[in-house]
Amino acid sequence: MFRFDRRLLQNVDWLLLASALALVALGLLTLWSLSPGRQGSGVVWRQLSWLGVGLLALAAAASVDYRNLVRVAPALYVVGVGLLLTVFLFGRAVSGARRWLPLGPVTLQPAELFKLLFVITLAWALTARWANPRSRATLASALGLLVVPFVLVVRQPDLGTALVLVPVFFALLFGAGVRLRELGWLGLAGLAGTPLAWVVLKEYQRERLFVYLNPFRDPLGSAYNVIQSKIAIGSGQFLGKGVVGATQSRLAFLPERHTDFIFAVFAEMWGFVGALLVLVGYAFLILRGFEIAGRAREPVGRLLALGVTALLGAQTLINLGMVMGLLPIVGIPLPLMSYGGSSLVITLMALGLLLSVRMRQSL
Amino acid sequence: MALKGFGAGRGAPRDPFRRRLLFLTICALTGFLVLLGQLWYLQVLEGARLHDLSERNRIRVRPAAAPRGILFDRNGLALVDNRPAFTLSLIPREMEDRGTVLARLSVLLRVPLAELTEALARVPPDSFMPVRVRRGLTMEEVAKVEEWKLELPGVVVEVEPQRVYPSPRLGAHLLGYVREVSEDQMRQGRYRRGELAGQSGLERLLDEYLRGRDGGEEIEVDAFGRPVRVVRRQEPRPGAHVATTLDRHIQEVVERAMGNHAGAAVVLDVRSGDILALTSSPAFELDHFTGALGREAWLRLVRDPQAPLLNRAIQSQYAPGSLFKIVVAAAALQEAVITPFDRLRCAATFQLGARTFKNWEDADWGELDLYHAIVRSCNTYFYQLGLKVGMEPMARYARAFGLGAPTGLALAGEKAGLIPELPGPKGKRPRGWKPGDTVNISIGQGPVLVTPLQVARMMAAVATGGILWKPRLVQRVEAPDGRLLYSEPSQMTGYVDLSPAVWAFLQRSLWGVVNDGGTGAAARLPGIEVAGKTGTAQIVTNSDARRGQDHAWFAAYAPAQDPQVVVVVLVERGGRGGQAAAPIARQILYGIFLERVASAGGSG
Repeated sequence: MFRFDRRLLQNVDWLLLASALALVALGLLTLWSLSPGRQGSGVVWRQLSWLGVGLLALAAAASVDYRNLVRVAPALYVVGVGLLLTVFLFGRAVSGARRWLPLGPVTLQPAELFKLLFVITLAWALTARWANPRSRATLASALGLLVVPFVLVVRQPDLGTALVLVPVFFALLFGAGVRLRELGWLGLAGLAGTPLAWVVLKEYQRERLFVYLNPFRDPLGSAYNVIQSKIAIGSGQFLGKGVVGATQSRLAFLPERHTDFIFAVFAEMWGFVGALLVLVGYAFLILRGFEIAGRAREPVGRLLALGVTALLGAQTLINLGMVMGLLPIVGIPLPLMSYGGSSLVITLMALGLLLSVRMRQSL
Repeated sequence: MALKGFGAGRGAPRDPFRRRLLFLTICALTGFLVLLGQLWYLQVLEGARLHDLSERNRIRVRPAAAPRGILFDRNGLALVDNRPAFTLSLIPREMEDRGTVLARLSVLLRVPLAELTEALARVPPDSFMPVRVRRGLTMEEVAKVEEWKLELPGVVVEVEPQRVYPSPRLGAHLLGYVREVSEDQMRQGRYRRGELAGQSGLERLLDEYLRGRDGGEEIEVDAFGRPVRVVRRQEPRPGAHVATTLDRHIQEVVERAMGNHAGAAVVLDVRSGDILALTSSPAFELDHFTGALGREAWLRLVRDPQAPLLNRAIQSQYAPGSLFKIVVAAAALQEAVITPFDRLRCAATFQLGARTFKNWEDADWGELDLYHAIVRSCNTYFYQLGLKVGMEPMARYARAFGLGAPTGLALAGEKAGLIPELPGPKGKRPRGWKPGDTVNISIGQGPVLVTPLQVARMMAAVATGGILWKPRLVQRVEAPDGRLLYSEPSQMTGYVDLSPAVWAFLQRSLWGVVNDGGTGAAARLPGIEVAGKTGTAQIVTNSDARRGQDHAWFAAYAPAQDPQVVVVVLVERGGRGGQAAAPIARQILYGIFLERVASAGGSG
């Protein structure tokens, strides 16, 4: 399993790797330009060290044969759910949410790791010898795999991460060949469940749900954030204001500017031209991911590549949509660019899996 | 090329997986195109306007607090209300020369400078959100701030709805106080800095309903921070109204009757379990909390040895004293240990082994039947009866009457009281148990503790012939538009199953306590027949040489033939129940039945 075949190296997708690293670099540049002083460099150094960890994780994920990984998926899933449960018991609460596990000097966000484990597990559940994507039993077991962690993550509360699991789930079922009619029923049932939950909830619980939906904990405040974010993006205009002129971001009008709203900062500084570059970069990653899925010869690789790509794509689209004021604010970081160790390491690890599929498709 | 893998451009691929993959790819691409469109719209089409906004100046948010919901009594009289009040707020971002502005303000309003700097230290210096530093400004203070406005950039006076109380101590423990949220509460994430929240009593229990939703305005301001126009306005949504079960008239009567005595009193509606009045004294003044209650005043309140914040009616536990004889008598009759016709000696003392137990009066009253033993509250009679009944049945009947468990009242911190654990099978006594304990328990001393609310519920069970109510404090919660958000029906939580003859006997005995030359004669009221029982709870460490230190109980219901209300009075260190508590209960009953103001539809 760990014997390294030299032919693998020839099949590394350097273009994918390069564009991912370019996006990370743009993220670092943005972090640095937010506060170029000594204070800012601390953030940059920390993110750089996470990049180091992430690259190691990427290399590790790429060098392991993903088929072996999928074989132990049930164990991974149990570990993942276990971690989510541990957050309940020992998690550190930050502004009302219990999402972080303190591990020595660093804190881990198990929900981030779980997203990846979820993709691996679902790929396993849909391709295992007994699985038949056209059978109801397989469908039901896949649904079960979603529901348990979904509830746990919602309870943290981290609605953003929980919501990302849903499109990934549907993409994987769709890719695995589940009948459209059944997918449709599943989707309808999910939609029908939403107003049902709404009716069941009490008035004040609904109010709380609003609060979950919005990381800044009050409707007025979040409207303020979206407005400031739109002003930041829009005021960048075609060519951007440059680092010094980006008053919206530099003067801290923008909330969460290091993390969830980093794209708005970038767009203010580099304008439509720069933002377009970033969009193209992400679109390239997604298309490349789907292409790798399409080229894979066996179902495990196909679904794994598809799932990882869907995960990346869903997070990117939701984050950008939210920052541009098209979607309600749920706290989701922008993969690769946002500040934050767990997110960066996990995203790079996911790309490692993608590389792994690609490296082994012609063997 | 990126799409080569799907065989794009050669029609739909044959492989179903690739066909589906192509669909997903198109979905993702569509997403990116939408984002691109929005980017174009924001940066190119709207770019100039948004750039202008960011340059000239920006959007501020000015919050508007929602008025809290109002608490009503059962007849629709307000127990608390709101009035607009002035709050001094600072907007950190607009305070250019912070030190000077704060120093001026401190001198102008005679506010300690430390208080102002401390309030500001908790928020980022570039925040636009007003930091509320002092509530309840007087008109005079407001005028001063307005007068010096130009010298005080970043200082604003906000108008906020504030609680106002018809009388500051009325139902203090029940209603609870409202205060700015603590750092802890903010960390839990439900509140924003500077928000007011119910911190005790109903205000806290129903805070989610009462608080409403704050609104606010987004205003465009110019370079000097002056509002140019309102961009968007969200009206605050007032909180929901609460109909409690309290009767404001009775609550006032009860509080007046308790006067300066430390203790508690409860009035329960026998027919529904509704709490008509509940008080604990000493009480605290609710409106102390709404203004700027300083640290000093707060500490004084918390450290007061009289514990005014403690709700003695549900959070303090006392030995029931002779009230417990009701339970012992019920157990004895129902278990046929004794009949109403049997007599036992009521001597001055009772000897058990080497121990001597005394009656409360140093006289031999001769042979008594159960009725007279209750009426005169003879201890030595009940020592013997308790030993006959046994420990286990006494504890079992006590639990049946709802003692030893919380009543289920929704208010926080209700105590369960204490009834000894039932012994194991075959009458085995719990470890460390001595016959002397059984003797003590039979007159409500030793390891038995009850809360005044539990006693009220027990009395209601006697009055109704067995119904154990869940005490109800809230009837309905209604949104301001009249929508019903919550309602609580009267709820029976149990039934004390005794034969009708036993109930009739108990009721007649309690009538006798007040009307037949018994210990409760001080509660006798012309025109209304009262039934009740006195109790005197010895404080464990005190010998009976210091009788004046005992807690005084009186538990009554009236009218005796058609019970409507239960009244329970406890006076801490008041002495004998018949002397200290019964007259207060009488005054309460007088207020309920004989001086009742014409409040339409009132019950009781």
